[in-house]
Amino acid sequence: MADAVQTDRLQRVDASGQTGSVASATQSHRLAAGGLVDRAKPLSFSFDGKIMAGFAGDTLASALVANGVKLVARSFKYHRPRGILTAGAEEPNALVELRSGARREANTRATTTELYDGLIAESQNRWPSLRHDVMAVNSLLSPIFVAGFYYKTFMWPAKFWEKLYEPAIRRAAGLGKASIEADPDHYEKAWAHCDVLVVGSGPAGLAAALAAGRTGARVILAEEDNRLGGRLLSDGGEIDGKPASDWLAGALREIESLANVRIMARTAVFGVYDGGTYGALERVNDHVATPPAYQPRQRLWRIVAKRAVVAAGAIERPIVFPGNDRPGVMMASAVRSYINRFAAMPGRRVALFTNNDDGWRTAEAVRRAGGIVTAVIDSRGDGSKAQREPDTRLLAGVVSEVHGGVDGVRSIVVRDTNGRTQQIEADCLAMSGGWNPNVALSSFHRGRPVWRDDIAAFVPGQCPPGMVMVGAANGDFSLAACLRAGHEAGTTAAEAYGAKGKTGATPAGGDEGYAIAPLWHVEGGKAFVDFQHDVTASDIKLAQREGFESVEHLKRYTTLGMATDQGKLSNVNGLALMAEATGRNIADTGTTIYRPPYAPVAIGALAGHHRDENFHAWRLTPSHHWAAERGAVFVDTGLWKRAQWYPIAGEKDWLESVTREVKAVRNGVGFCDVSTLGKVDVHGPDAGKFLDRVYINTFSNLAVGKARYGLMLREDGLVYDDGTTSRLAEDHYFLTTTTAKAGLVMQHLEFCRQVLWPELDVQLTSVTDQWAQFSIAGPNTRDLLKKLCDPSEDLSNEGFPFMGVREVSLRGGMRARLYRISFSGEMAFEIGVPARYGEAMARNLMLAGAEFGVTPYGTEALGVMRIEKGHVAGPELSGTTTADDLGLGKMASKKKDYIGRAMAGREALIASDRQVVVGIKPVDKANRLRSGAHVVPKGAVPGPDTDQGYLTSVCYSPMSGHWIALALVERGRERLGEIMRAYDPLRGEDMEVEITSPVFYDPEGGRQRG
Amino acid sequence: MAEFSWQAQSPLRKALSPGRLGLAAGQAGVAMTEISDFSLVQVMARRGRAADLAKAAKKEWGVAAPDRPAAIAGKGATLIWSGPDQFLVVRIGNGLQNAVLPLAAVFGDAASLSDQSGGRCLIQISGNKARDALVKVSSIDLHETVFPVGAAAATSIDHTGVNLWRGPDAPGGSPIYNLLVFTSFADSLWHTLADAAAEYGIEASRTPLA
Repeated sequence: MADAVQTDRLQRVDASGQTGSVASATQSHRLAAGGLVDRAKPLSFSFDGKIMAGFAGDTLASALVANGVKLVARSFKYHRPRGILTAGAEEPNALVELRSGARREANTRATTTELYDGLIAESQNRWPSLRHDVMAVNSLLSPIFVAGFYYKTFMWPAKFWEKLYEPAIRRAAGLGKASIEADPDHYEKAWAHCDVLVVGSGPAGLAAALAAGRTGARVILAEEDNRLGGRLLSDGGEIDGKPASDWLAGALREIESLANVRIMARTAVFGVYDGGTYGALERVNDHVATPPAYQPRQRLWRIVAKRAVVAAGAIERPIVFPGNDRPGVMMASAVRSYINRFAAMPGRRVALFTNNDDGWRTAEAVRRAGGIVTAVIDSRGDGSKAQREPDTRLLAGVVSEVHGGVDGVRSIVVRDTNGRTQQIEADCLAMSGGWNPNVALSSFHRGRPVWRDDIAAFVPGQCPPGMVMVGAANGDFSLAACLRAGHEAGTTAAEAYGAKGKTGATPAGGDEGYAIAPLWHVEGGKAFVDFQHDVTASDIKLAQREGFESVEHLKRYTTLGMATDQGKLSNVNGLALMAEATGRNIADTGTTIYRPPYAPVAIGALAGHHRDENFHAWRLTPSHHWAAERGAVFVDTGLWKRAQWYPIAGEKDWLESVTREVKAVRNGVGFCDVSTLGKVDVHGPDAGKFLDRVYINTFSNLAVGKARYGLMLREDGLVYDDGTTSRLAEDHYFLTTTTAKAGLVMQHLEFCRQVLWPELDVQLTSVTDQWAQFSIAGPNTRDLLKKLCDPSEDLSNEGFPFMGVREVSLRGGMRARLYRISFSGEMAFEIGVPARYGEAMARNLMLAGAEFGVTPYGTEALGVMRIEKGHVAGPELSGTTTADDLGLGKMASKKKDYIGRAMAGREALIASDRQVVVGIKPVDKANRLRSGAHVVPKGAVPGPDTDQGYLTSVCYSPMSGHWIALALVERGRERLGEIMRAYDPLRGEDMEVEITSPVFYDPEGGRQRG
Repeated sequence: MAEFSWQAQSPLRKALSPGRLGLAAGQAGVAMTEISDFSLVQVMARRGRAADLAKAAKKEWGVAAPDRPAAIAGKGATLIWSGPDQFLVVRIGNGLQNAVLPLAAVFGDAASLSDQSGGRCLIQISGNKARDALVKVSSIDLHETVFPVGAAAATSIDHTGVNLWRGPDAPGGSPIYNLLVFTSFADSLWHTLADAAAEYGIEASRTPLA
């Protein structure tokens, strides 16, 4: 097997005598030359408080390797010492707390963390220190902490569970601690579009991107790593007759020159969604201490791709043998990565344990770097076709024990095929159990991976529409096959969308042998399957004995594959052990499938811009800034920010402000911005007919220049929404909705128009945002309006009767729509001007009403006045009430059909014992009513059987001088004067109340018509 | 007698302070401009009258009304597709004039017209980083070949309806995107857009429709 890395100059730093630079002082395991680190750019970092040095191009893991660090973590459950196992995203052991303070991130993989100057990392899950971890005692208790341990504790006395077991277990087992401070960085989301998305930039991905890119198709090449090249960076090889590194450099030059190809490095594609949408996480500024000003730390991409070529590579599989989790035991491919890519030696005396030819490449790499291969243990025995180098000590057998501890491997015990054992010196054991194609993305639409005996691995089954998997991800492990498949898939994907350019020749590479003979388990001591969740071979057997044989049960019972690495290393070994235990083959045993995200995604990235004050969009009323200048207190109603009340100096609480506002309106005049009400232009010759079908009452007979209150039902006969609708012209109505239902009612109306009655000639336009609308109310309203309106406007009862509507001229050259409608029960008008004049309107209303003590009022006073008048609103229009429940049954026309009419006649909806709207007042006038309190008969024991209703809307009524409420009460209208109980167990209150008419103020309604 | 003045107020009066925002170094990558003093009318064809609207538009402004997502500049008006058999007419104007009356004269009884001059805020995003900023908020493919000059979309940004169209390129060749947003959402969307563009440096301004 060829190796592109130049080998002749490779020597260890300490051996070459090049120890002059400060940077290399700590780097006892750094090679003097070679690799892709930049020795001209030394970086310093700290791990567990110890200052060390590395180079640009390092990961935290490679820098630790270069510094000779073996112990980096404690395991999740048993607190066993752990070292670096891999060199990639699959790392289960080397998880650290990265950064400090508010930026501290728990469980960060050292293997994917790019080194930067000043990086701070701490090991986790240990106390008081990584070397001396008190909780390592858990390891002695391991017979207790077996599979299903967590579930079994539920069988212990329940009273101890919450107080004792759970907190104790959570303290003992766990990983890093996240910062509890707010994240100072920001995250964002973005969209990208392309014809062909290529995932992965190894040989297959590059060949695909080149082929597709050359046709002129829009290509996105996404690579999780910061550097393009995939395994070419670590394994080299020969392509088109030259070293892979030369080919790679040329390929990158070409691909970067193509304007139609976008390269996205540091971008992990983690999910596949409908319509060819892929989720990807770009780590924009994870490789620096703090992001530059205004830049995000991470960006979540939604990539919309017509086709996707996934060349996600393969992940090397550990072997399950006793001691396989000791620090210093490392994946064979990772050893090659550290040596060839990072110029860092994981060990000086390396033993290799393999069941396939590929593992042998590690022996070669170690030797070329000047290391010693103390033995190659090949489980295939004499059948091995591996390339043997003359001076290699080849042992046919298995590793049955590893000696070593916090300082790494000291030696290993090899058991040959006859059961004889011998001890081999080594400070690093490289292992290769074969390769698992990285099939995750193929499974995200429920595609089930398919087992292939010849490579002893699962390959992709049915891929999501538009996606193909190529290269090692598809089970093609040789360089030649990867290049061929990538080139072909890139060409096909681009041509599928009409791209016609020349794709060039297929790059040629070597056809290396693989020749795997599976080895699933070596019997003996504690052998780990899932390193991160501390699941051992015996846990899997235990699960089988206890009946958890299905792969789904196995996963949940043992937590196999449920750690942050999501079983990337452990799944197949676990399944194989279950197959062995049940006497089935792996294909029949089956596999759990993968779900997004493929790689961890921070919640911050999913939230993006939507945090803090940007949690959701906000809507401002036309008079918002004017109200803010007056010191209004705002309340969120849906997305709107509405003025709730306008406190003035000296008022001690909201109630005092609101009471003042109500009295000012009832005794003088006030105004309120009601622009939030939904407004719809209903146009067309059939507009009246349309409204007749939508509302329970009739609108086709409404005169031009008049408004009418309307009530609409849902199809099921319950009340949907209400509001006034005015007829502005023969073919033009202006419909209003409640604030809360504005969007929904518009959708409903459009549905009616487009789907139910397409034959009607009617057009709908939302004009909610067009009109600044103010309610002006109080006995002095007309006086105020006379000041504001042109003197020619007749505002008298005759000239502008109750429920009249017309356009008027205002002083200063403005036209406005004036509606004589009242929600407060007072003499009132609503006035509408285009939204841009809303602020001017508020100022002019203050000016016009100055001599009458005009008072702006907020939504609280608005609510108080509607409750005093018994007008129903949101709490009563709750989706459970009928028109009759609300006291509006008489509005329903009997002469026409309308939405909800038939269903409103259902037995339960016309039952005589329904809860209907009534008024409530406390018997003891000093008592405060509470909304939500239950209404039960006096003397009854409160409970579901005696519950006869509840208080829906509650306020202090300035006009009554005590608290009042609207309530829904069973047969309420027959019970006026009855004393009942308002029972509120939530607040521990219980009081006698009287059932009254819902209209507390001006029951004759004379004031609004005055 | 009190003097009443009717000063139009931009929904961005607090949000937009003209000048440099975000990254201060170098040339601003994005210009965010509020376009003021426009009149806007929603035109919807009465049942079966779409062809009459197209004809009337052609007669009045020299261009047919758009029957697919597009923004078409005619003499004295830009017509922007907003849905099947409906479009928006943008013209120079202000809210003191009745925006509907002149269009009623153009379309007669073939159209239903609603004044939206106060209902929308027009924000222009331009500059060599305009697209980079917009992809953070818009799911629309803005690539040159897919969304060329004159392309339009009725879409949503930050869960809010937006009419988006591409105007003629700036003299320097960088694209100009127009976003017609609901007045009540304008303050919120401006902040969202400014956050998206901050890393490129922003030049904020307002200017009347020309």
